[in-house]
Amino acid sequence: MTTATSKTRSGAWSGYLFVLPYLLLFTVFLLAPLAYGFSLSFYRRELLSVVPPKLIGLANYSEALHDPYFWKALWATLRFVALCVPFTMLTALSLALGLNGLKGRLQTVLRAAVFVPTVLTISVAGILWRWFYNGEFGLFNAYLHYINIKPPWLTSTGMAMVSIALMTLWWTVGGPTVVLLAGLHNIPPQYMEAAEMDGAVGYRRFRYITLPLLKPVLLFVMVLNIIGSFQVFGQTFMITRGGPEMSTRSLVQYIYETAFNNYRMGYASALSWLLFLVIATFSAAQFRLMRER
Amino acid sequence: MPIDETVPSNISRPITRRALLAAVPAALAAGGCHSTGSNPVTVRYWNGFTGPDGRTMLRLVKRFNERNPDVNILMQRMDWSTYYNKLFVAGQGGRTPEMFVLQTLAIPRFARARFIRPIDDLVASPQTVDVSDLDANVWEALHINGQHFGLPLDVWPMGLYYNKKLFLEAGITDSSGSPRPPQTRDEFLDTARRLTRPETPHRPGQWGYTFTYFESNLYTVLRQFGGEFFTPDSSRCILSSPQNEEALQFCVDLISKYHVAPSPQNFDSWIGFRQGKVGMAFEGIYMLADLQKQKDLEFGGAPVPLLGTHAAVWGGSHNLCLRAGLSGRELEAAWRFMRYLSDNSLDWAEGGQVPVRRSLRNTTRFKGMEVQSQFAREIPIVNYLPRLPFIFEFQTEFTTAIEKALRGTETPRVALATAQARLNKIIERDREASVAS
Repeated sequence: MTTATSKTRSGAWSGYLFVLPYLLLFTVFLLAPLAYGFSLSFYRRELLSVVPPKLIGLANYSEALHDPYFWKALWATLRFVALCVPFTMLTALSLALGLNGLKGRLQTVLRAAVFVPTVLTISVAGILWRWFYNGEFGLFNAYLHYINIKPPWLTSTGMAMVSIALMTLWWTVGGPTVVLLAGLHNIPPQYMEAAEMDGAVGYRRFRYITLPLLKPVLLFVMVLNIIGSFQVFGQTFMITRGGPEMSTRSLVQYIYETAFNNYRMGYASALSWLLFLVIATFSAAQFRLMRER
Repeated sequence: MPIDETVPSNISRPITRRALLAAVPAALAAGGCHSTGSNPVTVRYWNGFTGPDGRTMLRLVKRFNERNPDVNILMQRMDWSTYYNKLFVAGQGGRTPEMFVLQTLAIPRFARARFIRPIDDLVASPQTVDVSDLDANVWEALHINGQHFGLPLDVWPMGLYYNKKLFLEAGITDSSGSPRPPQTRDEFLDTARRLTRPETPHRPGQWGYTFTYFESNLYTVLRQFGGEFFTPDSSRCILSSPQNEEALQFCVDLISKYHVAPSPQNFDSWIGFRQGKVGMAFEGIYMLADLQKQKDLEFGGAPVPLLGTHAAVWGGSHNLCLRAGLSGRELEAAWRFMRYLSDNSLDWAEGGQVPVRRSLRNTTRFKGMEVQSQFAREIPIVNYLPRLPFIFEFQTEFTTAIEKALRGTETPRVALATAQARLNKIIERDREASVAS
């Protein structure tokens, strides 16, 4: 930028002005609350308390580490991530590859069909699936009744999270699919032609041409998917309220309840920062892994 | 606010980025119009009546507004699941509505936060509400440190719903041939056994009883066995007592020993009752509207049988509350509306509620409401949840303990002891927060 002309400088000036509204909103609604939340995590701040907020150092963090509900919620969240991310990635990739092989209108129609559930709000999707999963008069068991199976979709501690993950797959797979499809479109056809001439077809072409070229997009989609999965809240809150026996209570739900049911703002802030730490660790590890290969 | 409507002559000129930047603040400023004040005094009124009850309440509000042109009641309804959060946050920001509804369980925390105006002076004023018309336990539940923090509008005792058709099929009838709901523990067990039928390839199974909402069902049974939850001064949790263990064990036995109730593992309980697969269930009066819509279900309502040694049922109330510090015209208008709702709570009862005032319950109109009047017999034995500012944490621990016991994950003793230990820690924490240093 050392050779910037006066024209580009003025462009930069109005550029800054254009970013200004966002920057203001970002500062007021994200940066400032983040900083406030961080400082809050070192305080004992309870809305019901008649005692003024008190600086207690790392006590909130140490309480979290000794809180069985925190570990239970973290375990539930990790289970969700482990169930959701691989299935979403595999399904999205398969769908994208399948759609990429189609031509014209059919591709457009099917792409829209895959994407439609994403448009639904979580309240609608949640209410719908709560009914699908209902053991007594739900849609799934009404059909499974004919082959004499009655899975305890939401009532068994082992099964409930699997059901939530399945619902999430249906609800969210459209987004990653569309992004991966765009990534596939961006692979220059010359590579494929060259590979074909060299005799690489089918799996080999996918393994040595498609996959490496799609890697940046895959990484992007996966990181977003992992972050999103760690923040799971709507699905579990709408469908199971965290039950049975708290087996689907995610960290975000626990944070929400701590802050807005129990009014323990300091402790909830500490829990939030612990969740941030977990997400940051996973994302960093992922970037490193993908870069090394 | 005047708005310049001149059309620029050079309309075809492309809009520059700078012009756009200049236009945005102007547009924002133009949007900031304000309305002029009106004569009638406005009372904002918040509640969580988003179902059919909300429509009943809206009719009452409209009627009041018509008859009182000097007052404008502005009702805002929001779902109970987020209602308290919004109300509390409004209180934190000093924007509490003039009048709002609180369930009895929420009174202690809002009173602690100093968001509610006590109404004792209004009750003592000439424009009074006759509080001797209220049952003592209902009025007492609003009593904290010598003051009352709301006017109860209704009361919802837990009652017994039973399936008349299944009772008749099983021959559980009185001398006149009508279905006979059980009144004692022995009758309850006998009835439940006779109503239970295992599933066969040709016929779906049937259960005598089912647990629906853990908290209300188990609170009823535990209170009936005489178990206390906290010491009288609420300084210690004593949930893990022989009486409570016995009560919880009785409930577990209904599933695993007597086999008259399904395990919560794989059963949608209330739906089971609605589908005619369950003979008896304990539920609140608020389920009535739901059942009345279902034409193919013949059901009846009765008081909960005495399963333990003490007559008791879980229950709650909606209470009309005023904003702390409310005074002058707003106070007068809000109090007038509160009295109006209380006087007309029979209209409110039509929507599936039980009015709290005895004089209204003695009218022939109320007695004609079959299920409501049966459930109303239980009002004197209604046990509200413990009076705690940390009520939601109590509910979490209590429900978790019950769930573990009923599902067989833990024994009643272990489940109750775990909950007690956690609750005592919460009390400890709350004590530090409630004593000003």
